Amino acid sequence: MAGEAGFEHRWRHVRLLFLAFLGLWLLFTLFPLYFMAITALKTTAETNLTVPTFWPEVFAFGNFAAVFAEATNFDALVDSFVIASLNTVLSLVLGTLAGYAFARFPRQAGGENLAFWILSNRMFPPVAILVPMFFLFDSTPWGTDSIWSLVILYLVFNLPLATWLMMVFFRDAPPELEEAAYLDGWTPFRAFFRITLPLVLPGMISVAMLCWIFAWNEYLFANLFVGTDVRTYTIVIPTFTHGSQTLWNLQMAFSLIAMIPPVTLFILLRRYMVRGLSLGVVKG
Amino acid sequence: MARLVVEGLCKGWDFPVIDDLSITVEEGEFLVIVGPSGIGKTTLLRLVAGLESPDRGRILVGDRDVTRVPPYRRNVAMTFESYALYPHLTVARNIASPLQARGLPAAEIRRRVEEVARLLRIDTLLERKPGEISGGQKQRTALGRTLVADPQVFLLDEPISHLDARIRHELRSQFHTLEDLRRVATVYVTHDYAEALSLGDRIAVMGNGGRLAQIGSARELFEQPATLFVAEHLGQPTINALEAELVDVDGRLEAHVGSLRLPVASSRRDALARVGERRATRRVTIGLRPQHLRPADELPQGATLEGRVDIFEALGSTGVMIVDVGGVALTALTRPERTFDPGEMVTLAWDPAALHFFDPSDGRNLLL
Amino acid sequence: MRQAIVRGDPSTYPDWFDGKRRQRPLIVSRWVPIAMVGLPVAVLLAIVIYPTVWMFYHSLRDTNITGLFTGNHAYIGFANYATVLGSERFQDSLIHLLQYLSFGAVLQVILGTVLALILYEVVRSNLWRTVILILVVLPMMLPPSIVGVLWRFLLTPSNGAVNQALLDLGLISAHIEWFNAGISLWSIIIADVWNWTALPFLIVYSGRVSLPPAVYEAARVDGAGQWKVVRRITLPMLKEVIAIAFILRFTDAFKFVDLVYVMTSGGPAQSSELPTYIAFQRGIREFAIGEAAAYAIIIFAISAVIVTLFLQYMKRVMRAQGLA
Repeated sequence: MAGEAGFEHRWRHVRLLFLAFLGLWLLFTLFPLYFMAITALKTTAETNLTVPTFWPEVFAFGNFAAVFAEATNFDALVDSFVIASLNTVLSLVLGTLAGYAFARFPRQAGGENLAFWILSNRMFPPVAILVPMFFLFDSTPWGTDSIWSLVILYLVFNLPLATWLMMVFFRDAPPELEEAAYLDGWTPFRAFFRITLPLVLPGMISVAMLCWIFAWNEYLFANLFVGTDVRTYTIVIPTFTHGSQTLWNLQMAFSLIAMIPPVTLFILLRRYMVRGLSLGVVKG
Repeated sequence: MARLVVEGLCKGWDFPVIDDLSITVEEGEFLVIVGPSGIGKTTLLRLVAGLESPDRGRILVGDRDVTRVPPYRRNVAMTFESYALYPHLTVARNIASPLQARGLPAAEIRRRVEEVARLLRIDTLLERKPGEISGGQKQRTALGRTLVADPQVFLLDEPISHLDARIRHELRSQFHTLEDLRRVATVYVTHDYAEALSLGDRIAVMGNGGRLAQIGSARELFEQPATLFVAEHLGQPTINALEAELVDVDGRLEAHVGSLRLPVASSRRDALARVGERRATRRVTIGLRPQHLRPADELPQGATLEGRVDIFEALGSTGVMIVDVGGVALTALTRPERTFDPGEMVTLAWDPAALHFFDPSDGRNLLL
Repeated sequence: MRQAIVRGDPSTYPDWFDGKRRQRPLIVSRWVPIAMVGLPVAVLLAIVIYPTVWMFYHSLRDTNITGLFTGNHAYIGFANYATVLGSERFQDSLIHLLQYLSFGAVLQVILGTVLALILYEVVRSNLWRTVILILVVLPMMLPPSIVGVLWRFLLTPSNGAVNQALLDLGLISAHIEWFNAGISLWSIIIADVWNWTALPFLIVYSGRVSLPPAVYEAARVDGAGQWKVVRRITLPMLKEVIAIAFILRFTDAFKFVDLVYVMTSGGPAQSSELPTYIAFQRGIREFAIGEAAAYAIIIFAISAVIVTLFLQYMKRVMRAQGLA
């Protein structure tokens, strides 16, 4: 009994210690975001003070408007949006087809090893891909600097992800439901759209969102391939300068705006996203 | 309407599952296929439904060879052990599914769905989703989906095995009375022998190796089991099966089990003698149903045995006891009102004419 | 739901059975699944396998930019590999990579696991759990360019927020030169920890949430203390989940190069270069195609070993879960 009480006592201290650690981590996580937010509201002069301020002296709400005063900034968001969306549609359509085949006809579709090979493409560093693809796109009439080079290149990581995850989600949907539909007289094609697709829809949406976020946030490929005719917002952000001066406030304001879509999607769909982020192993 | 013919059906994956199986189910017949779990009963249904394609053999519905016809063009309806209701559709739309597949007008669909729902007493649940109804109601919905389709063949896979006893009984009586089911060829699969005996016009017992052990009426299977397997699986409590040696004693035939001497009815003697000429050994497995082994005063004409009661269970409608007779444990039945104490000595009587004889090597009934 | 089927004794198998599947499928033609899988496979062959083969080819030749376009390049055996493996720049970058993997990947998984378990075991209110979860995961939703820019800004030595905050708190007395040689890689690692610890955190937390409570009730009845329960029950049951989180982080870390571009461009004096970074620089910026190709193939070969091992493990985990 005494030992029990002693334990309870100790546990209270340990608990406080853990809470303190969690609090410190939150501080580490949120401080940069906080500083980003207040910088976005500072005047350019204030961002260049020798001693930085932790609360804006003057609120410069005009920064957000100033970001878009420059038409190319808005265009960058549009380019990113178009590229991410086109790539998501492509990944999802191809991934759904292949994922369904792997889930329902594993043997005819080439088996588990082919599925794992497809997944492995996501895990390899793209180092062996970018240089040749750069010269390949360079030799086409539209060159590397076009939305299509990125729409296609992003398939390198999004297509394996979509295929693999759709396979996992289709496996969750019992094949008996489709079989029941065949016996009801539905052809495989119609049974797929009537029965199976509605069942995997939540999974499919989360796959689409993940693909979209990965493409939206992509920096490396965009940095190496595009930049003149096409500029994604991710490569625009590091270039916010006026002469030799970095416009931190506009940069942070633009970053805040660009963060909105992925953050919103995550907050809304975090349950489903865990499954996708863990490649289907952890059920959210 | 039409009959279902299965001819020489074979199916295997890494190992054979259905081996050279032939069955004819007449129009209006209710055939129950019974057998232990994992014996290939569901595979047989899936072959008939067209969800698998056979390695050999033919399947005919009426005069039409459907062996290579895909399931959506077979006009065969099937319920699944898991019910396989569409979770995102209401009960009404689940039932309507086969009608929609046929492109019937909406009003006609509604009329027929409501009709079937009333028949199955789920008409108050039509707007619910499968997740919101009980197991019994799910089964009725699944049944409704097959009934409404008006198919030529019904396939029912373990339709009531996952329900609790009361609902199981209720649904079982429904299978007796549903006219739609009784009008066409119906194949009903179960692992429950009581269910099989109660429902089937005929019963097919599937045995090891995916072969048909026996097919016939409940009475035929019970009284003339083709194999020891059938005898052991049909009837409660399980038949007493004993390794015995046939011995001629003073011109009479006896079956010797250890120290037990069991006289063989004269009616069986000649038949056994004929079989004996073909066999090198006189070893047999004898089978005696507990129904035919009772306390001596309940069966005055029988041959008698002395034994000691090991276990006695009063089951309400009957009493069951396990009696040690000369070192051999035998199960016997008593009338319901009687009780026996463990250790009590008892005289049992049995009917020599009810004794079954099986070949110990392959389990075949020697007298059939 | 489907039961195991009785296999029987092979010696009793009937004559017709030869263990081969010869029947044509009834429901869809056998070409349908092949076509469905064929499309993505063709795409990946074009955008992954073709370039890899191309790279391997040029890794054995003295290709430079003019040679590439005129077709004027000669076979030089493994000279490019010798150049790469023998160069100090490559060897240094490998050490940087190891440093980055152990702090970037290993540390993140440990931190993420600890934070996830603290959140689950110590915070009791569901609302707080959700709020903290979202806050902790926020950085993960940011693209590397924002993360890089933000941390370059925060870590600015002269008037950056981090140095100022540390000064105000009295933790340091002089500005830390975050982007000097020897420190700049650490700056990248800090930014990456901030960015990606959320992934193992989120995965382990979700894995913990889905553990069956029955196990814990049994442990409570046995009177096991909280710490013992975590060590004896939670951690072993989360082993696979943590391993998957590690695999994901490790493979991502192996690919990692974005923050190097945004924060330091490999500098100063190549002190924060990773092998991948050099490969891109040599290939696309400096057009030493042959040498870049050798870099790429070396990195590719190392990751092929690692990825294969990881996938073997994942296959086992998924089999155990009935997913594969």
